[in-house]
Amino acid sequence: MQTKREEINRMVQDVKSLPALPGIVVKLRALAESDAASLQIIARLISSDQILSAKVLKLVNSPFYGFPGRVSTVSNALILLGVNVVKALVLSSSIFDLMEENVVGLWEHSLGAGVAANIITKRLALPDGEEISTAALLHDIGKVIIKIKLKEEAERIRLKVDGGEVSIREAEKEVLDVDHAEIGGWLGKTWCLPEKLIEPIACHHDPVRSVTYADRTAVVHLSDILIKASGFGYSGDDLVPRIQEAAWKKLNLSDHVLREIVDEIEDKLIEVKNFSLEIQSSHEGKV
Amino acid sequence: MKGKFRIALLSDDRKMSEPLILLLESREYCVVLRTDFSRVLGALYSDPPDMIIIDLGAFTPERLKIVSELKTDSYFAIIPMIGFIRPSIEESVAWEQLPLDDYMVLPVQTPELFSRIALSIQRMERIFDHNPLTKLPGNTSIRRAVEKSMGKPRAVCYVDINLFKPYNDIYGFVRGDEVIRMLARIISNAVKESKEGGFSGHIGGDDFVFIVSGKEAEAVSQLVIDRFSMIVVNLFDKEAQARGYYISKDRQGRRQRIPLLGIAIAIVPTSNTAIQHYGEVAARAAELKKEAKASKASCYVIDCRKA
Repeated sequence: MQTKREEINRMVQDVKSLPALPGIVVKLRALAESDAASLQIIARLISSDQILSAKVLKLVNSPFYGFPGRVSTVSNALILLGVNVVKALVLSSSIFDLMEENVVGLWEHSLGAGVAANIITKRLALPDGEEISTAALLHDIGKVIIKIKLKEEAERIRLKVDGGEVSIREAEKEVLDVDHAEIGGWLGKTWCLPEKLIEPIACHHDPVRSVTYADRTAVVHLSDILIKASGFGYSGDDLVPRIQEAAWKKLNLSDHVLREIVDEIEDKLIEVKNFSLEIQSSHEGKV
Repeated sequence: MKGKFRIALLSDDRKMSEPLILLLESREYCVVLRTDFSRVLGALYSDPPDMIIIDLGAFTPERLKIVSELKTDSYFAIIPMIGFIRPSIEESVAWEQLPLDDYMVLPVQTPELFSRIALSIQRMERIFDHNPLTKLPGNTSIRRAVEKSMGKPRAVCYVDINLFKPYNDIYGFVRGDEVIRMLARIISNAVKESKEGGFSGHIGGDDFVFIVSGKEAEAVSQLVIDRFSMIVVNLFDKEAQARGYYISKDRQGRRQRIPLLGIAIAIVPTSNTAIQHYGEVAARAAELKKEAKASKASCYVIDCRKA
């Protein structure tokens, strides 16, 4: 008999696309219609959305183009695919039918984590900042899959979280026998994304398990926690996990450096919040 | 992807498409019907078929744009495309602007449809001199494009990769092929994004040609160089990325430091009336390339000689 895990794993292998946030798609549509829209502007907007970023990375890493598992940033994907291909891809995206609060919350959490990762890599002078931010942006993509493809289970997970002192990850494990991090990793494999994105996604709650890209995973782990602690967005529960020892050591952190990073993130989040409100209103303005 | 031959049928006319799908499926074709023309391009890009049949309906700009967009992307231009048109408008169609491979008048006759599908596939395989690795046009098309631009305010730009052989020796030809494919996409996208557009071709190996307006030649060359250096680091291991070089052995077996891959571009403006033949363009480019190669880093060199 197939276990629940195997069943979900098989389901993930059939996931061809996921719905995006309508506000972003509306904004990109307006951009796509003007021919002057530059590669950088389009890349920046796509990089603010986990679904569209994943979609673009899926295409550029597909065997059809001949460099599977090689491209890990949206700007490189745009260079290789071409602006027109990416525009068309975005325009054909399906969007969420209902704008639930939780959907926006998760989108903000993902965007915030990407922003935090960018600040952390800069402060710690780590190379490949854009790639690490991309991994942070995508770290909770497994939650979108649960929400879209496992609706009934998602509801049971939500009830468990709302009912008591249990984290969303623990609730997922109880209901699904697998958590969103692992599901996100499975999706990354199915979509031929680079290992340097998959490992941080799959191990962001458990950085000790990350072997090849431990430093990247540590940054994503830290970004996730700092954004939760800041109260920006909503990732499915209100519990802030501990920063794990392995990540702390890997990044050679100190209380002083962490304080500086937190301050910088707080400042930046004001700007990000304004962007988020703008995106939400561009959706409302349209409908 | 092995398996059934996949045909994308783009039509919002259910009365026509439903029986057609049954017919095609009876011949073991796998048909994917797309009815929403506003989203069809993205769907085709994310899931490319082996052939496209498009119902051109009333020739709306939306549908014509689908044809031209696909046919100007090197990866999609080689997918055969048949257009369905309404009777009695054949003569008024501006075929020069509609880069289809074939057309059929509605209502379609079944035996004719099957024959045209088979012939379109054959024709694609026969007439295209596209490079199988990069899908870019090959030497016959390049020669034609260069000759067409002579005496005009255009520039022919020859691109090749510096120190490509040691890279292939160390990292293997599979990785080498990836480099070639990436450079091909970088060149063709940069050319497409330029204001006046242009031509991109693949001579073979690590040699490419692109043709753009004389005014834009330097800017496009610099863009290709910048983008190549952004992308190419992904094709080295972590150590080489950090150090900026890798270790190879020369013919005597001595260890050598080889810098990360770069490119050299030789720009030959074709407005120069002293250049009369295709061969002269190539010869000038070869001389310039030597200059460009003298610098270890990526660069372009432009032919400034007067007539």
